[in-house]
Amino acid sequence: MPSGSAIAVRHGRFLAVGEVDELADVYGGTVDYTLADKVLLPGFVEAHSHKDTGGIWQFTYVGFEARRGPNGRLWRGCTTFDAVIDRLREADRLLDDPDEPLLAWGLDPIFWPGERFDRRQLDAVSTTRRIFVAHSNMHLATVNSALMEQEGIGPDTVAEGVPKDDSGLPTGELQEFPAMALAGQTFRSFFGRTQSDESVLMFGQAARNVGVTTVADLGTSNLLDEAVIRQWIGLADETFPMRTAMFHGALMSAPDGDEACAAAMVDLRRRSTDRVRFGNVKLLMDGSIQGGTARLRWPGYLHGGPNGIWLIAPEQVAERISPYHRAGLLVHTHANGDQAVDALLDAFDQVQTANPLPDHRHTIQHCQMTTPGQYRRMKALGMCANVFSNHTWFWGDQHRTITVGPDRAARMNAARTALDIGVPLSMHSDSPVTPLGPLHVAWAAVNRQTPKGEIMGEHERITVAEAMHAVTMGAAWQLRMDDAIGSITPQKFADCTVLEADPFEVDPLELRDIPVWGTMSGGVLHEGSPQTDA
Amino acid sequence: MTPEAARLPLTVIGGYLGAGKTTLLNRLLANPDGQRIAVLVNDFGEIDIDGRLLNSTTDNVLRLANGCICCSVADNFAETLETVRGFADRIDRVVVEVSGVGQPHKVAQWGHSPGFSPDGIVVLVDPLSILSRATDPYIGDTVISQVTRADLVVISRTDIANVDELEATEAWLDNVTDATVLRGPLPTAVLLGPVSRPLGVDYCPPSKEPTPGSGTAEPQHADHVTLSRRLDGPISRPSIETWTRARPSGVIRAKGLIRVDDRPNDRTVLQICGSSTMVSVDGPWDDGEDAVVAIALPGTPRAALVKWLNLLG
Repeated sequence: MPSGSAIAVRHGRFLAVGEVDELADVYGGTVDYTLADKVLLPGFVEAHSHKDTGGIWQFTYVGFEARRGPNGRLWRGCTTFDAVIDRLREADRLLDDPDEPLLAWGLDPIFWPGERFDRRQLDAVSTTRRIFVAHSNMHLATVNSALMEQEGIGPDTVAEGVPKDDSGLPTGELQEFPAMALAGQTFRSFFGRTQSDESVLMFGQAARNVGVTTVADLGTSNLLDEAVIRQWIGLADETFPMRTAMFHGALMSAPDGDEACAAAMVDLRRRSTDRVRFGNVKLLMDGSIQGGTARLRWPGYLHGGPNGIWLIAPEQVAERISPYHRAGLLVHTHANGDQAVDALLDAFDQVQTANPLPDHRHTIQHCQMTTPGQYRRMKALGMCANVFSNHTWFWGDQHRTITVGPDRAARMNAARTALDIGVPLSMHSDSPVTPLGPLHVAWAAVNRQTPKGEIMGEHERITVAEAMHAVTMGAAWQLRMDDAIGSITPQKFADCTVLEADPFEVDPLELRDIPVWGTMSGGVLHEGSPQTDA
Repeated sequence: MTPEAARLPLTVIGGYLGAGKTTLLNRLLANPDGQRIAVLVNDFGEIDIDGRLLNSTTDNVLRLANGCICCSVADNFAETLETVRGFADRIDRVVVEVSGVGQPHKVAQWGHSPGFSPDGIVVLVDPLSILSRATDPYIGDTVISQVTRADLVVISRTDIANVDELEATEAWLDNVTDATVLRGPLPTAVLLGPVSRPLGVDYCPPSKEPTPGSGTAEPQHADHVTLSRRLDGPISRPSIETWTRARPSGVIRAKGLIRVDDRPNDRTVLQICGSSTMVSVDGPWDDGEDAVVAIALPGTPRAALVKWLNLLG
């Protein structure tokens, strides 16, 4: 691994890499020793995240695992019902306006099997203020009686997603979006506030705090909406600490068809700036493995549940991809289950055969159950893989015992196989699904350890060097930005991750614990938020 | 629209690719049978509207001269329903197209949203391809799940399929679903049922034969049997259940505005769509509007229908 003790920066780009005296002699300028004792790496690139990564922290966090918000505040994990109640009571006290709803997120009752968290616990927090607590998967919410009264949810409410208790009253749990939407204005504020300017700015803070200098926003923003385009271009000025590759969510937002959408994206691509890159689309094949909605090959789910759902009909995938492919746009497609990958590869086979494009860099997102045979097909078709390595930590034990069993779990997120076969690799957090943080993602891929201490497939581990490459150049390649970011190379943007310790020196088991100082973005230093414990 | 106004019935139309959803939706918009229908589609491109019928267009709403509107379902379904609610005083019902791989019974849950009431899950089936699709490793379970959770399955392309294909399809459906299975195409008023309030029926004492549908709220169709009956006085809740279970096999659709004795101040709405019955409350009681309307298959014995309608009470 080449290294040096200094970098020269001019006009926001790397000018040269070498030793301090040599660079000062040749290029002049001033020497800045602010980072004298730090470790600089190429800026981390998070190739799969979402806009609400920052904005979600406007709400009270009640999740099981400790997390740190964009402002540096540590939110301790709520490991008991009482801890959740205490956290919500504190938030209730801090709200002055009695009509303002209390919005919270991150609840995960999976950690309290056999116990029921419902309206009764929330009524103990407030009988007058509306309370809406989204679960960690964002597909469920629990609300209090005050909210249900105000929105007319009661014994007469007959809906599949509104379970009742023995007394005939709704329990307060609202399952899936049609039921959650019954929470009316409160539901709309929860899902609407993450679209605000403040939310975008918090995304930038969150990225900076974990050393990320470029993110991909995978289909969270409607790029046919001029207001959204202007919001991003406007906010991402030279003071904004990150670059963003924007992916239009074409699955649901192509109201005039894919040809028209592709043409709009080609036009939009011309408006790309140094900080916001357009010209990318995202599609989705299936759901999630932990949610039982991913499409699996035989023998399906270990728990015996029905196979998952298709979000595009398999026979329509090629015709949906084709307009974007022919327009030269970059297509990243969500596919978790191995059967979803089969159908996607069939489609890319057709698309590439009809309109061969030698350097397309189309990428399969998540690739969680992709088999060696499928990786060989991906290699042959020139496709890239962005694997969801964080799953080994966040759901590893559940995958071993509930969703697919220990043998298939050991082969999930097969980064080693992808590299051995020669498929360009990146790894991601899918934040806010799991916390933004490439050091954690790298740690997961290098160690493959579950919370219960199991090693989930030792043979799929990769080295620290491979992991660092995947979260820098690997990701930059898949975003077609490797000419501009991904390495400390003269002429590229001067983007660095600034760490307190060298990932190549620490025990690989401590990778995720390396403190992050902050970032350099376009030659400008951005120190992370001071960490507070309150 | 006041909060007490009637809820808009919301019907979902599902079925795999090629099942005829687009054809059906275009037909509903072109021949709404006097109903003002809001059709929610995934993609405007599939909608074929004569330009002369088009009143106005905004970003995601087309307004037709016949009173119907067509909305594209943006990525936010809750927002789309809010838009539709804005038209509540100008439309009679909502029809939602579900994508070919979508799960109609899940989309139907949106029918419980404020201002709406669920009014049936209709799934279309293509008799030329359904049997091979049902065994397809990619989508077999999806198409089976669609018909399994339907209230009404309508077989399309009956003009192209031969008798063997139709009968094989019907035999297969009989095996996998409890839904009512019919051969299409069905007139709008039969497929979607009566809608508007008041139901527009003539008075008919329970002891006498009900009158045929008035022809105002629900147009007549020569082949299908439409009968209605006015009710008088509150009805007990158990008797509603007994009554719906006793319905003759030819009944496709029924709608009742009922005063139930345990909720005398509320308007209870009873809706039958194929195999399913939905009972909901949608506002305060108005005197004099209690009535039931039923639509049955051609050939359903009139006497059986009369007898059944007279059972309620």
